[in-house]
Amino acid sequence: MAVQPDSGGKDDVKTQFVTREGTYRLMTLSEYSRPNRVGYTSGSGSSHVRVSLVSLPPGPGGGPPGSDGQGSDDRICFNHGKELYVYVYRGVKKAADLTKPVDKKMYKGTNPTCHDFNTVTMTADSVSLVIGFSTGQIQLIDPIKKELSKLYNEERLIDKTRVTCIKWVPGSSNLFITAHASGQLYVYNEELTCGTTAPHYQLFKQGDGYSIHTCRTKSTRNPLYRWVIGAEGSCINEFAFSPCGTNLAVASQDGFLRVFHYDTMELIGRARSYFGGFLCVCWSPDGKYVVVGGEDDLVTVWCFSERKVVARGQGHRSWVSVVAFDPYVVSFTDPESDEGVEDDRQKSESVQCYRLGSVSQDTQLCLWDLTEDVLRPPVRARASAHLSPNSQTFSPNGVPGMKVPAKGTKSNKIGHKHAELSGQNNPSGESSGAKQPAKTKVNNVSTLNISVGKAKEESSGSLGVNSLTQRLAGFSFGDRRSEHRRNFSLSKPAEQKSSASNTVALRGKSAGATTNDSFDPLKLIGTASCPRFDECPVLEPLVCKKVAHERLTALLFRSEYFVTACADGCVNTWARPARSLNGESRPLRRFEKIDLVD
Amino acid sequence: MSICQDLGLNFQQRMGANISQLERDIGSEQFPPNEHYFGLVNFGNTCYSNSVLQALYFCRPFREKVLEYKAKNKRTKETLLTCLADLFYSIATQKKKVGSIAPKKFIARLRKEKEEFDNYMQQDAHEFLNFLINHINEIILAERNQSTLKLQKNTSGENVTCNGTVPQSAEPTWVHEIFQGTLTSETRCLNCETVSSKDEHFFDLQVDVGQNTSITHCLKCFSDTETLCNDNKFKCDNCSSYQEAQKRMRVKKLPLILALHLKRFKYMEQYNRHIKVSHRVVFPLELRLFNTSDDAVNPDRLYDLVAVVVHCGSGPNRGHYISIVKSHGFWLLFDDDMVDKIDASAIEDFYGLTSDIQKSSETGYILFYQSRDASC
Repeated sequence: MAVQPDSGGKDDVKTQFVTREGTYRLMTLSEYSRPNRVGYTSGSGSSHVRVSLVSLPPGPGGGPPGSDGQGSDDRICFNHGKELYVYVYRGVKKAADLTKPVDKKMYKGTNPTCHDFNTVTMTADSVSLVIGFSTGQIQLIDPIKKELSKLYNEERLIDKTRVTCIKWVPGSSNLFITAHASGQLYVYNEELTCGTTAPHYQLFKQGDGYSIHTCRTKSTRNPLYRWVIGAEGSCINEFAFSPCGTNLAVASQDGFLRVFHYDTMELIGRARSYFGGFLCVCWSPDGKYVVVGGEDDLVTVWCFSERKVVARGQGHRSWVSVVAFDPYVVSFTDPESDEGVEDDRQKSESVQCYRLGSVSQDTQLCLWDLTEDVLRPPVRARASAHLSPNSQTFSPNGVPGMKVPAKGTKSNKIGHKHAELSGQNNPSGESSGAKQPAKTKVNNVSTLNISVGKAKEESSGSLGVNSLTQRLAGFSFGDRRSEHRRNFSLSKPAEQKSSASNTVALRGKSAGATTNDSFDPLKLIGTASCPRFDECPVLEPLVCKKVAHERLTALLFRSEYFVTACADGCVNTWARPARSLNGESRPLRRFEKIDLVD
Repeated sequence: MSICQDLGLNFQQRMGANISQLERDIGSEQFPPNEHYFGLVNFGNTCYSNSVLQALYFCRPFREKVLEYKAKNKRTKETLLTCLADLFYSIATQKKKVGSIAPKKFIARLRKEKEEFDNYMQQDAHEFLNFLINHINEIILAERNQSTLKLQKNTSGENVTCNGTVPQSAEPTWVHEIFQGTLTSETRCLNCETVSSKDEHFFDLQVDVGQNTSITHCLKCFSDTETLCNDNKFKCDNCSSYQEAQKRMRVKKLPLILALHLKRFKYMEQYNRHIKVSHRVVFPLELRLFNTSDDAVNPDRLYDLVAVVVHCGSGPNRGHYISIVKSHGFWLLFDDDMVDKIDASAIEDFYGLTSDIQKSSETGYILFYQSRDASC
């Protein structure tokens, strides 16, 4: 009785979609999964498939060992159920070879849940991979050399609950952090042991809604620190270091984003979800914004310098499982699309734009454009900071050696710019923004044009959410609620002024409070941490496409492609728009999917 | 009921013959004072009633009002409400902390009150909830009328329709105060552009479910704009004729307890019967509404999930109902006479299925969200 009821049935899963910079295509040959697909169970249990990618430094003799001579330095790691795989990742150019995994692990009685490569200590033929497990343990392996295998929290004396997120401390060769469902973070040194007894903790530091402990022992042991964050037992779902490595953002099931200064362990900011837990978190490439996704189906944009929620994105039909900035599409200028309004061109060029991606349990991928004029209402007359397009190569997820091709300029034709971002940017955004002369004037005429052009584009392949919101937008009952913004803000000065002044006034209040009351969502509503829904700009996604049959669990942007993964264990690669207009780089998509099972 | 045999077995294995396993799971220090966790004995397919009664018992404002009613009305004739009050009172005054109880009198009364329930067949839990809430409300109204002798006898009977709509004019009962919300339906005539709005009350919202969505999204879809055209045109007073129009329904008054019914039983013409829609619909422990009207009184009311009636099985007239409830910070699963503590993370087992391969599913069917300002 495989009944497919009429509504909510299978919309077609998209294998390509168009944005203004061009067409993104699913590379069907670059699908990574476990080698033998027989007996694949789909969708049962909470299979949170996560993906780690690393680019190894090139070895002295060309291709490093283990790369089957195909010359790719990239390695991909993903977990599915009880299994963990590491493959040579061959990007969009070559098909995935699933027959020869670099390493594969099958675990009994526990599932790997998350993992991270160490990019500091890696060499052409060695890399450290830390893996967290559903039962709380942590393993350190070298999937290439295969000599290394250490266990932490082996007897589960430190924490018995699921590891929800694991990451190396940026720039560190030996420190890594694990987050657990118990609501605790632990800092481990891979060189230290965990002891044979449960740790005795002593309070090290305490703040509003969190405390930090160290082990009370003679000899240093793991964990070095224990951070207890939020309401008792409320799961930490994800954490993320700012690009400069200074700040740590923590997304929790209690509905809070907390941003800490990592070294001083001070809580420096927070946001509250509209409702429900925050499930994922990421930083903008320049460290100025933190974006969280959660059980309110929203992406919430929090401004670091102002310590406030500046926008919410509404477009997903279910919980948002991953948010990630695309650092390769940053600044948007569109000198060719609005030829009619030459006067406005210069002004619109200085609009700073961030590209954000999000995936959800709704099986959809959303891309969002966050423009400075939405994030910083014009009333504030603040200059938008320019990201320096050269200096140090920005490395997403702390992967150095990421080669950003210098072909970026060519693609400007379709209005997006490949840029290398400086990882050194001031995360607060204050000083860098202040240094810029106030030359930015947000222009509504040109941005309007852009919206219209895009609306046309969308209507051809229109999908539920967009057309739906369009319909609603056209349905005028004289809404008092703030307008949905597809992209650029349309001027509504009165409203913005009121909300801006409102939040500024309230900021002092929420920041000053130190009692437990300050975490009461009933008291936080209407403050900078959690504006009312009509007090905060609501963004609409640029694109919103169903790209999988199962709920999506991973999203990573790289210079030439982005990677998604879903709960059935398939890791997919999407090629960015072709850079040459004659479509030379497209033949791959003509191939039908080849069955790689032997 | 074969579907739930695994579940049942599972419990029996864990519990053995020892009923105090639950107490052990909770821990004697943690066991909340003045709280009782009692399963309800099944009298042959009465799990639809048991699951709803447990959910209602853990809707604190409702329980308190029912117990209050019990305290105030010592010697009245037996009604479904007095039977319910007796049942709640009996649970609340048990000497033991845990155990099971037979809701014999309540079921007997129910079978007398409504013909449809006077058999041993599986019933729809939502139909039962709808009947129970409306019926209790009628009883209160009738008693009020009797005591004041102001109104004619049959007002209440006429006013309460099976849709759960109730007259605006009457002074609200405590059932209204707890469950009643107001929907405002706005209709814009496409000919003359006049917008007319009409309010209607509800005791629960019935939402369509989509695959891989959230209850939040389902609620937004509930308030989608609908175009009235063809056979379904709108009679515009301004134009004095039937016109095409756009209509949408939004929540104007948010109830204290928001009951959400997921429409999981869909009539399929090609099969000539109702089919269960097992779509995965996630529901957060905390909820605010996006589909409130502009003039809503308290549009950012924050709700907490307090109870879920779960349907297990493959069809509306088959399978089994259980309920999960939140009590003093932890979650309990009530499966007829059995009660078990569950981890909050186990709630995700009741979201539904992402594929249609499996025949049977255990899915959230009625969600009870309680306003946080009500509990403190």
